[in-house]
Amino acid sequence: MEKEKDYLLQISDLTVQYNTDDAVVHSVNNFNLNLVRGEARGLVGETGAGKTTTALSILRLLPAKVGEIVKGSINYNGEDLLTLPEAEMLPLRGKKISMIFQDPMTSLNPTHTVGAQIHEVLDLHFPEMSRAEKDKRVDEMMTLVGIPPERKDSYPHEFSGGMKQRIVIAMALVAEPELLLADEPTTALDVTIQAQILELMKQLKEKFNTSVLLITHDLGVVAQFCDSVSVVYAGQVVEFGPVEEVFKRKENHPYTAGLFNCIPDLNDQQPRLHPIPGRMANPRVLHEGCCFADRCEYACDRCRKEKPAMHVSGEHGIMCHRYEDKEVF
Amino acid sequence: MTAPLVETRNLKKYFKTSRGLLHAVEDVNLQILPGKTLGVVGESGCGKSTLGRTILRLQEATDGEILYNGENIRKYRGKDMRKIHLNMQMVFQDPYSSLDPRMSVHDLIAEPVAVCGLMRNKVEIKEHVHEIMEMCGLPANHSNLYPHELDGGLRQRVGLARAMAVSPKFIVCDEPVSALDVSIQAQILNLLMDLQEQRGLCYMFITHDLCVVKHISNEIMVMYMGQTIEYAPTAELFAHPAHPYTKALLAAVPTIDLSKRNQEHFTLKGEVTSPINPAPGCRFAPRCPYACDKCKEPCQLHEIAPGHLVSCKLFEK
Amino acid sequence: MARKHKKPLSEYSTGQLVMFRFRKNKLAMFGVFLLALVFLAVLLAPVLSSYEAVTKMHIRDKFSAPNATYIFGTDEFGRDLFARILYGGRISLLCSFAIIGIAFVIGALIGGAAGYFGGKVDTILMRIVDMLMAVPSALLAMAIITALGNGIWKLVVALAISQVARFARIVRSSVLTLRNVEYIEAAKCYGCSSLRIILKHILPNGIGPIIVSATLCLGQTILSISSMGYLGLGVASPTPEWGTIISENKINIQAYPYLGIIPGICICLTVMAVNFIGDGLRDAFDPRTKN
Repeated sequence: MEKEKDYLLQISDLTVQYNTDDAVVHSVNNFNLNLVRGEARGLVGETGAGKTTTALSILRLLPAKVGEIVKGSINYNGEDLLTLPEAEMLPLRGKKISMIFQDPMTSLNPTHTVGAQIHEVLDLHFPEMSRAEKDKRVDEMMTLVGIPPERKDSYPHEFSGGMKQRIVIAMALVAEPELLLADEPTTALDVTIQAQILELMKQLKEKFNTSVLLITHDLGVVAQFCDSVSVVYAGQVVEFGPVEEVFKRKENHPYTAGLFNCIPDLNDQQPRLHPIPGRMANPRVLHEGCCFADRCEYACDRCRKEKPAMHVSGEHGIMCHRYEDKEVF
Repeated sequence: MTAPLVETRNLKKYFKTSRGLLHAVEDVNLQILPGKTLGVVGESGCGKSTLGRTILRLQEATDGEILYNGENIRKYRGKDMRKIHLNMQMVFQDPYSSLDPRMSVHDLIAEPVAVCGLMRNKVEIKEHVHEIMEMCGLPANHSNLYPHELDGGLRQRVGLARAMAVSPKFIVCDEPVSALDVSIQAQILNLLMDLQEQRGLCYMFITHDLCVVKHISNEIMVMYMGQTIEYAPTAELFAHPAHPYTKALLAAVPTIDLSKRNQEHFTLKGEVTSPINPAPGCRFAPRCPYACDKCKEPCQLHEIAPGHLVSCKLFEK
Repeated sequence: MARKHKKPLSEYSTGQLVMFRFRKNKLAMFGVFLLALVFLAVLLAPVLSSYEAVTKMHIRDKFSAPNATYIFGTDEFGRDLFARILYGGRISLLCSFAIIGIAFVIGALIGGAAGYFGGKVDTILMRIVDMLMAVPSALLAMAIITALGNGIWKLVVALAISQVARFARIVRSSVLTLRNVEYIEAAKCYGCSSLRIILKHILPNGIGPIIVSATLCLGQTILSISSMGYLGLGVASPTPEWGTIISENKINIQAYPYLGIIPGICICLTVMAVNFIGDGLRDAFDPRTKN
């Protein structure tokens, strides 16, 4: 507990907005996250919660002109990524930090063979490596993700969805990055394939000691894959902690509790589900009080007026007034 | 015993492709009783959507019978089919692409009523639309909004309202919640169950999500590459899954139960291929850990417990 | 919402909303204004000038630059350019709109049927369209006029047929992308007839690229009429028509540039106006455009 943690990534007070023609969309608001080296962190939240925006901010790939980082810092290995010049960002992307996108169908270039696409990553980041060495790396990587290296001369359309996602993972990991941002990597896949891909990612993460930020809307995936979790609502982390703590379902932010309640689980018997009432917070409006107050069953006047602070006990933090006086939870 | 409302007998749907005949739906026999729900589960490409569309005759079946109230509707044309469609409707997966972006919520719900000639009077239609909207939990002031102004949950409510507008008895729900967020998903599932209770609706619920199907279905049919491999009442299927594929499917669902976290999972190897000119035997055999030579012979559904049918050589005596 | 509405937006009908959106589009309204101006001038030709002036030669005044008597000047035979442009505009506008209209209707029918029904219907119709496309449209129009005989209306038919292929292609491709969209399936599900589906669901959603293409086609058509006229097909001198006016003056344009510039500006303004209106219509029909 006492020893200084080896943080790979520290995001503090990150605030991102999209300036569109007709409105300002407050996508990420005072977002905080600390990621330890080698940790797999789940970023859970619903559509529009700002998960992908956060990941794109880390890579500084927000849409130009529209996306604006208002304040905050993203500390990576002691360097603030937000102040780095673009020229120094380039070698980071793909080499130190890489990203997997949701849809494997569109993240591969249909006109190049898959081998060439993995090769390209090496060409970009390891210009000193010899051609034979690179070829060997590509073969190794393909074997690792479970695709016979003989298939490196095939084109993406010759592979199924699960195989394509394996290739995307190979591309993301071939440079042995320190941090992998996985944006819903299994959402487009079938359950049996999802299980295969998660298993594969788990093995590779161990092998390369990669830290992973897994963006997902599926609490089940987090429970099976991650060490810790941050629950995001309206661009804010409302709860974080080790999976063991959060998934105990004893002490939770009302939103997290609501999420747990509305998942139909294979093991429970209740006939009706308990949805969270209302709809997602409108990102065009900034909340004066707690962002979840409109949908929360415990909300009182104070919640609507005053922003709750993050109350931390051990490694488990909950952003809710109800936990103000609790020392341990 | 009540007669089934919807029934298929040896329903087949083949597609011609450049590489041969794709057997998308092969000899499917199903029965849905009035007021009940049949869940159809399977991975993408298993023919579950094709099955739903074939039953509604959005696609012409290759062979077999589709019975509604005991009548074979496969031969129905024009007016007769339109009458049947008053009773059989569909809710689609993608609440965005299933709504015409150029039509307002009111027009979307009113169109089926007008097309079917249920009502002619504009005022009458307007009242009816409002009633339906209320029933589906749509605020009345949304009636002149367009789909792009609504979020996913509301859009799916509009899709459901459109299907409900002609007061059908049977609705094919093709993955109605898989494009929605979990908190919204639960709202729509509850709405579907409420409507079923109030109106005695009968659903065919197509999904890839076992958790969802467990909640809403009375019976479940598991499909693999166009064939029914297991068919059982919900409780029975989850308590005693028999087919190796069903077991693998259940094991693959990520649960929030931490006790399963570090267990060694039984993950299925390989992937689904498309059933083009398939060999006669079990189509799951190439991925099945228990496959043997017997699996190359044709396989039939066997009853292993009351109402529990399985198509697997392991259970053939 | 910049415009003040008397009632809440939700109480307006779809048609009214389309008008709102169209009227908000400044460029489109400018287009309407321009086109109205051109049409008004052309319609009022007998008031502003007279038909005799079109062919009457004032040899002494030939090549006079625009002045008080001859607002647009005169050509090499001393004919009043103003009168020629007004009366020529009648032919140019009428013919080009008729050509686009006919080509659009036939093309939409062929393309719509091909795209919607697919299969053999598609193969047969599209092979016919391919055949039409294989021949350069000018050559095709010439061949048709030669077969039909000379005359303005025969020219219209010929040019319309030569444009059918392009509309058929565009309509087909937009129908193809929409045919398998789920809302079309939903419409089938509640018993919509094919005709209703095409008219009510497919056409309004696919109209954008078709309108844009039609407006672009208009300018080209005005020029095609004149090139046909130059070849002595369809509209022949001395009957004026914007394109013909340019082509009959082309040897004198270097010395007397106004002879080319003035009819050129007329064509440009009309085409521009129609393009603005086309873009405006495309956006107005789309409810995703803000009110």
